[in-house]
Amino acid sequence: MDMELIRNIQGWGYVSMIFIITIGLYAYIYHLYKSQREGVKDYEKYSNMALKDDIDDSLVEAKDPQKDEKDNEER
Amino acid sequence: MFHWLEKNPFFFTVGVFLVIAYAGIVTILPDFMESARPLKGTKPYTALQIAGRQVYIANGCNTCHSQLIRPFKSETDRYGKYSLSGEYAYDRPFLWGSRRIGPDLHRVGNYRTTDWHENHMLNPAAVVPGSIMPKYGFMFKKDIDFKTAYAEAKTVQKVFDVPYDKPGMPKLGTYDEAKKAAYKDAGKIVANMKNQEIKDAYKNGNIREIVALIAYLNGLK
Amino acid sequence: MQSSNAINYDYTVAKYFTISAIVLGIVGMSVGVLIAFQLAFPELNNMFGEYGTFGRLRPIHTDGVAFGFTVSGIFATWFYVGQRVLKVSMAESKFLMFIGKLQFWLYIIGVAVAVVSLLLGYTTSKEYAEFEWPVDIAIVVVWVLWGISIFGLIGIRREKVLYISVWYYIATFLGVAMLYVFNNMEVPTYFVSGMGNWFHSVSMYAGSNDAMVQWWYGHNAVAFVFTVPIIAMIYYFLPKESGQPVFSYKLSLLSFWGLMFVYLWAGGHHLLYSTVPDWVQTMASIFSIILILPSWGSAINMLLTMKGEWGQLKENPLVKFYVLASTFYMLSTLEGPIQAIKSVNALAHFTDWIPGHVHDGTLGWVGFMIIGGIFHMAPRMYKREIFSKKLVEAQFWLQTTGIVMYFTSMWIAGITQGMMWRATDQYGNLAYSFIDTVEVLHPYWTLRAVGGSFYLIGVFMWAYNIYKTATSSKAIEKEPQYATPMA
Ligand code: HEC
Repeated sequence: MDMELIRNIQGWGYVSMIFIITIGLYAYIYHLYKSQREGVKDYEKYSNMALKDDIDDSLVEAKDPQKDEKDNEER
Repeated sequence: MFHWLEKNPFFFTVGVFLVIAYAGIVTILPDFMESARPLKGTKPYTALQIAGRQVYIANGCNTCHSQLIRPFKSETDRYGKYSLSGEYAYDRPFLWGSRRIGPDLHRVGNYRTTDWHENHMLNPAAVVPGSIMPKYGFMFKKDIDFKTAYAEAKTVQKVFDVPYDKPGMPKLGTYDEAKKAAYKDAGKIVANMKNQEIKDAYKNGNIREIVALIAYLNGLK
Repeated sequence: MQSSNAINYDYTVAKYFTISAIVLGIVGMSVGVLIAFQLAFPELNNMFGEYGTFGRLRPIHTDGVAFGFTVSGIFATWFYVGQRVLKVSMAESKFLMFIGKLQFWLYIIGVAVAVVSLLLGYTTSKEYAEFEWPVDIAIVVVWVLWGISIFGLIGIRREKVLYISVWYYIATFLGVAMLYVFNNMEVPTYFVSGMGNWFHSVSMYAGSNDAMVQWWYGHNAVAFVFTVPIIAMIYYFLPKESGQPVFSYKLSLLSFWGLMFVYLWAGGHHLLYSTVPDWVQTMASIFSIILILPSWGSAINMLLTMKGEWGQLKENPLVKFYVLASTFYMLSTLEGPIQAIKSVNALAHFTDWIPGHVHDGTLGWVGFMIIGGIFHMAPRMYKREIFSKKLVEAQFWLQTTGIVMYFTSMWIAGITQGMMWRATDQYGNLAYSFIDTVEVLHPYWTLRAVGGSFYLIGVFMWAYNIYKTATSSKAIEKEPQYATPMA
């Protein structure tokens, strides 16, 4: 490969990256606010993972709901 | 797609890694293929110079001195011709530095001499009043580690094809040949020095650190 | 739900790394203060023969605070925060407990070898990567063990979703791993040639390639050691200590990706006006300016979290630490891109403005977050109140004064020296000899060293306070939910 071609690829690498970043980030903003508004997902409740982080505090969203219930029964 | 990433640690990790790696590849890789070609006339360091360079590195001279003259008039007036990429082709590691507490040294061999260095390294403030450079008296007492210097030269020759022993290039040869050659090179420097202890040590076959360091500094042009 | 055989979080490893953060902080910063005084009073170079010169000691300072103090702080907070936000205890897995302890002891051995070898002058000369290959290998092993801890804990978690801090810890793990390995590619000379010192190695890369990899590393190591994990800390400690949910969790997710995407593109700006192609340099500058946005996203998010709760700033000194940290974070992420502008860089490069910039980030942001984080953790780990609130307050003000003295003197020193290097007289000749530009810095260097000493004294106060907290402060029965109890 000659240097010019490599430079070209690099240039395209940059341009496409800028493209992806911009589209990606804006799509992400849109996605976040839309899910919140339409009630698909309440992102803000995840803040509670820091505030209610005692081992006995109730989970924000259980990884494995059934296992967790069993856990609680055992205790 | 986003939901899925958020709760799937494995793919999340892969995603982050790709982002980081992609940036690395695009910013770094292409330049690798281009630079690193030596300029005409750029030669690898002699074994004695490598020993000096190792002294330079071990004592962190690069924490105070840069070796990179930028293309501004104020810099070329002060230090000489600006630096070119090809001049560093044999620098492993590079020693551009990041802070100029002392002046740039990339072309110091053009305007400083053996006996100036001898006085300066022993007591910088005596030569340049107000200097804050440390005194390096211990270099006048300590011998170089020539084996390690030779090991480095041999390694770059073997692994990276640095052109020792090629026509018009410095000779390296076997360890004994290299040692003899270094001893001879050192003799030229010792002849220009005043310190009696160093001359005596040299007569006994020992090369002090300061001698190798000056050989290296004199070669920076 | 409470019962006799309830599990509790196990802070054994977090405590280990708390101790190493304190000890290595003291070591690294003491050396820093010493070398700062050496610039103002060069006789101080001669105290310990060849082992006491500026050039030998500087890597011990930089690596000591980066890989000693900061990395210990990262590990300590991970082994605390990680368990809590994933709601799983280290006590639930013997394996993870063992890996955590192994990681600590290997780390300590690595640190010891690193310090001794640097003192002896075994160095690769590359900044923040000075260690020779045996130490590099130890570091890689420690890092892999940490990775096992992170992903092991994630594997047995109860919370389904990973809290934002965990994202940042994962990114730290990956980023540092990749950068460190690539920048430290080196060939041990002993194994090729069969002679010489077996510690010695040569870089795989030569000349400007070597420089390019080094500054790609140098810039991004700052991202992944001094920024990313510290954001992980603030996203946990500030909300938890103040009892306020993060202002906008969505913004925190967004800033994460913003930072990941943009930061790595800006590495080239350390090479402005070198021999790197023009357009790469321009791109790098532009990207470093875009970088302000995502970096500030996190900082603004933190400040807004305190909205309506500013009264806490008066009552709770830890909140002060966190809020000032995010302010310094904003300052240095603004200053960085400014320095990356070509014409500014032409002046600032090689001057004291650069260490000045580094220190408002490290002292103000990194240092304050680790100090404040460990203050928050201590009563929960040792089940005792903080020994003295007054001492925390005094430390805060002393250190803040130190930081301000540090960066103002370095700004002035850097700009003065940069201007003097390029100043010309009426005939166009250089106006000053080099030594003129050194002598003029003496008062600023003295001031900087005094500022640094203030900060160091503060670290001693911190150490004493934590020591007393762990050993003899008043015991607490129930773990406090939000604000940290202090006597
Ligand atoms: C604490 C920082 C510091 C360290 C470390 C340091 N120097 Fe210096 N150096 C200076 C300063 C400041 C000057 C300018 C004043 C002077 O000439 O002494 C200088 C000047 C010089 C000069 C003269 C350059 C000229 O153009 O006049 C040389 C050569 C030199 N140093 C070599 C070295 C070597 C070799 C080492 C490592 C063994 C070293 N220095 C380590 C600060 C340092």
